[in-house]
Amino acid sequence: MDRDLLRQCLTYHGESLFNKLKCEQIENPDFQAVVSDLCKATCESKSDGQDSPLVEQFIARKADILFCPTWKTATHKEEEQEEEEEEEDATEPYAIMPPMELFMEVSYEERRTMLYRDLEKGDILVGRINNIREYGFFLTLLCTAGGLRRDIEDLELSALCHIREVPSTGSHDDPLSYYQIGDFIRAAVKDIDRYQEKITVSLQQAALSPGLEHIKLGVFPREELPIHYSRSLRAAADSRETYECILKSCHGYHNPSVVEYLLEKVGVSDTQPPSMMRGLQSKLFHEEDFASAIRKRQSASWALKCVRAGVDHFKHGRHVEAMNEYNKALDIDTNNVEALVARGALYANKGSIMKAITDFELALENCPDHRNANKYLCQTLVERGKQLEEQEKLVTAEGLYRKALSLDESNPEAQEALHKITETIQVSIRLREEAVAKEQEKATSSQTSAEKLRKILKEEKRMKKKRKRSASSNPSSTASSRDSSPSSSSSDSSRRRSKKKKKRRKRGSKRHRRISSKESSSRRSEEGKSTKDQKEEEVEWYPAPPNTSATFLNQKGGPRFGERDEGEAVENDAEDKRISQLYSLSAASEDEESDSSQTERKRRDGKESRTGERKNSQSQEREERGSRSGERKDKSSERGREDNGKERRGSDSKRRSSLEENRRRTVSCSSAESAYSRKSHFNPEYLGNSKSVESRVRHDSSKRNSFDGGRYENRGREEIQEVEEAKGEKDSRKGEDENVPGSGRKSEGAGNHTRQSSLTSVPGGSVKKDLPTNLLDIFNQIAQFKKGKGGGPRK
Amino acid sequence: MEGPSPSLAVLRDRPVWPAAGRRQSGGEAETDRDMKKHFRVCRFIMETGVKLGMRSVPVATACVLYHRFFQRARLQAYEPYLVAMSCVYLAGKVEEQHTRTRDIINVSHRYFNSGSVTLECDKEFWDLRDSVVQCELLILRQLNFHVSFEHPHKYLLHYLMSVKSLVNRHAWSRTPVAETSWALLRDCYHGAMCIRHTPQHIAIATLHLALDSYGVELPVGEREWWQVLCVDVTKADIDAVISDLLQLYDMEAKCI
Repeated sequence: MDRDLLRQCLTYHGESLFNKLKCEQIENPDFQAVVSDLCKATCESKSDGQDSPLVEQFIARKADILFCPTWKTATHKEEEQEEEEEEEDATEPYAIMPPMELFMEVSYEERRTMLYRDLEKGDILVGRINNIREYGFFLTLLCTAGGLRRDIEDLELSALCHIREVPSTGSHDDPLSYYQIGDFIRAAVKDIDRYQEKITVSLQQAALSPGLEHIKLGVFPREELPIHYSRSLRAAADSRETYECILKSCHGYHNPSVVEYLLEKVGVSDTQPPSMMRGLQSKLFHEEDFASAIRKRQSASWALKCVRAGVDHFKHGRHVEAMNEYNKALDIDTNNVEALVARGALYANKGSIMKAITDFELALENCPDHRNANKYLCQTLVERGKQLEEQEKLVTAEGLYRKALSLDESNPEAQEALHKITETIQVSIRLREEAVAKEQEKATSSQTSAEKLRKILKEEKRMKKKRKRSASSNPSSTASSRDSSPSSSSSDSSRRRSKKKKKRRKRGSKRHRRISSKESSSRRSEEGKSTKDQKEEEVEWYPAPPNTSATFLNQKGGPRFGERDEGEAVENDAEDKRISQLYSLSAASEDEESDSSQTERKRRDGKESRTGERKNSQSQEREERGSRSGERKDKSSERGREDNGKERRGSDSKRRSSLEENRRRTVSCSSAESAYSRKSHFNPEYLGNSKSVESRVRHDSSKRNSFDGGRYENRGREEIQEVEEAKGEKDSRKGEDENVPGSGRKSEGAGNHTRQSSLTSVPGGSVKKDLPTNLLDIFNQIAQFKKGKGGGPRK
Repeated sequence: MEGPSPSLAVLRDRPVWPAAGRRQSGGEAETDRDMKKHFRVCRFIMETGVKLGMRSVPVATACVLYHRFFQRARLQAYEPYLVAMSCVYLAGKVEEQHTRTRDIINVSHRYFNSGSVTLECDKEFWDLRDSVVQCELLILRQLNFHVSFEHPHKYLLHYLMSVKSLVNRHAWSRTPVAETSWALLRDCYHGAMCIRHTPQHIAIATLHLALDSYGVELPVGEREWWQVLCVDVTKADIDAVISDLLQLYDMEAKCI
């Protein structure tokens, strides 16, 4: 209990209240603690006992609430309140009233004592200069400003502002010459002598109390007189202007949110409103009884009900109805885990694997330990990986398997698939190398004309020159700038590889290490290893490529799980007539799918090989670099130095190998092309559809490498173009120019995991930078032409 | 506590009390019983308002709607808690603090069946919702669509600002006059006194009682402070409001 308050109250009410209090609060230990202290206060009471006994009874009964220390909440808000005073004058969010003592007609003496009692250092006074002396000027006080609102005009108060308290303006010798008799002055109280009744004021801003610092002191025009002062002038002049009249004529009174504003100002909470009723003390209410809490619980249970209904539909094969129920559940309760898992399972069963993955991931975000969500996501990822494998996006598929394994270590399907795919990758790399070697021979022998020979000589010369130059220049740039684009790209990638190796070591998953060591032991060829590692590293670095281009979405039945588990999750009876259906569905779509996938790829290839369309991949690359390069750059540069020697040696053969690879690719592409022409009628609407999905998916940066696989496959195209371009160049100088900036770019983006995109950037990006566009077009045309020619005879 | 009808029955137009309970001679007892009933229902409105996060003014409007409705209708004719729920709903609309029927029904359901499971969104729920909406229309018709009222809240807050300037700032910040007067004002709405007295009088009376409770002394001039705030108020008016209010506090002890 607040002893001071209680004493104040007892002093006011006297003996009778004290007796009642003793009677009513007999059981209150707080009161017993202070009761002896209060006896004295009661004796000093000046009360004549005229107060209503009912009121005293009320005070006595409610004393524990009234004098409870937690009852007042507004104490420390007082300071801040004053800050707003000046702005309030302008906007008037509530009715600013003239001081009440004006209407109450409080006597001159009393008002004077009240002012001297309540005025404090730092308060603001408003006055008019009535006398200027050499030591300062005198003010006739008109009113107060800031927090205190008093009617003081007729109190005949004057205040001295000493010359020391007037800030010098600099241009004037005498600061007082700036002031004239009759000026309105806003000043801060510097000192009050309550005995002699003398007030000194200051114009220094520093004299203001903390809450009022923003108010400017000094001369001000008549219009800026405080509102309460001008209103009190009006009220004093006309006795018909009552308090009520003025109140209702104020704008602020009609402010619709005046109650909220003033409540905040006086410091009363409206969300935990005070009450004298014992049953309405806010602290008695339970949090779970509040509307928002109940609503939340209700929504959750309602959503669960919808999920149950949906699962029921699902079991009976009514998939549309089931989907509607799930969506309804998610409308009612966003992020309801059960609904997300159920919908994901439905998506997966319908073949929308990417959507399924999204749902599962969202569910896991909200509830990381959800058993079914983990299981389903794992299975779906494996399924997606298989799809990709069929589309020869081996790297991405591998990543998916790894991710699936990270969710469920023991998943046999994923383990097996991963094992298989690593082998496939190795084999394909070996094949490619061989093909490249062959191609290299062919390429040299096929160039019979004198012109071509000359060109080769020129190029050789250029390379030598470069080598020399690079030997003298910064070692990190040497490796990349030394050669034409394919080799530079390989050096680039090797640098990346080494860095990635580090990365992987850090991540240090046992499984990964085992696989990579096995691989490296099986393959001794240096370049082969580098390419393979590189591939693997890409996966390492991006362990979670859940969605690929989404191009192949919907083409195949997804993992066949779900209903059974779903049934278990929601209800405990699981039936299984649905699987057969789904199987048949997926089987039907399978042959179609492989064709259409090729079709789609072909389409993309065609597009990307046209320079105009390249912006896409470039911008993506840039994005990636932005997000990744920061962490990698330092590492890449130091590793790059170490790798230089090795790179130089391997560069020639690498170039050859890539050439060979290109040839091979071309063949496969052209076959795909024929497939495309056969299938060109194939559902174009579907393609458009999946693309939109793809674009949506790509917003997610964590899934950025979804394109990797696709791009990897396309690489052949790009490389062939580069090489042909290099060959076809008439001017070796120019070729060099082209390469230097290209490699510069590359060393900068060395950390980039997408080898493909950095390759792309050489002809696309740097050439564009350095050559006029018409030249660029010509180059591209040449490239297209050569490509066609290169692919032709092998068919 | 004579419990509220647990089923929250749908609007009914039959006497609640058996004929024996409606003795002609028992008018006094009946008004007393009615008052207690109203007190409980208003307590329900207040509590619901807090749990719904409603501000003071909408809650006050809900109470005024309730009291005005039963000024015109017999308590026995309608289920008071249903009327109260509709009043809360309608007050939310009137005072621009919309409250959803679903929340009102949820909170009320929990009020009557504390600790029970949350209401399902099934037929029972929709029936309740229908009755709330129907009853809202009934209230509107019964009150001739006069549903916006002047409340003492605005007055009280302005009075507080004015009185604050009269008092030494340290004395003021030590004394929780604002909280107390606001609490008293909210508590007024437990009884029909909130529609019997004018808003200004209620505001002045609550402020008066709050100042009295802490023994805060205001300067004395030719006129009392309350005479200034409202020209037509007399000491008798203030005492009448205060005694009505104190009666409500007595009733709390009696019927809760």
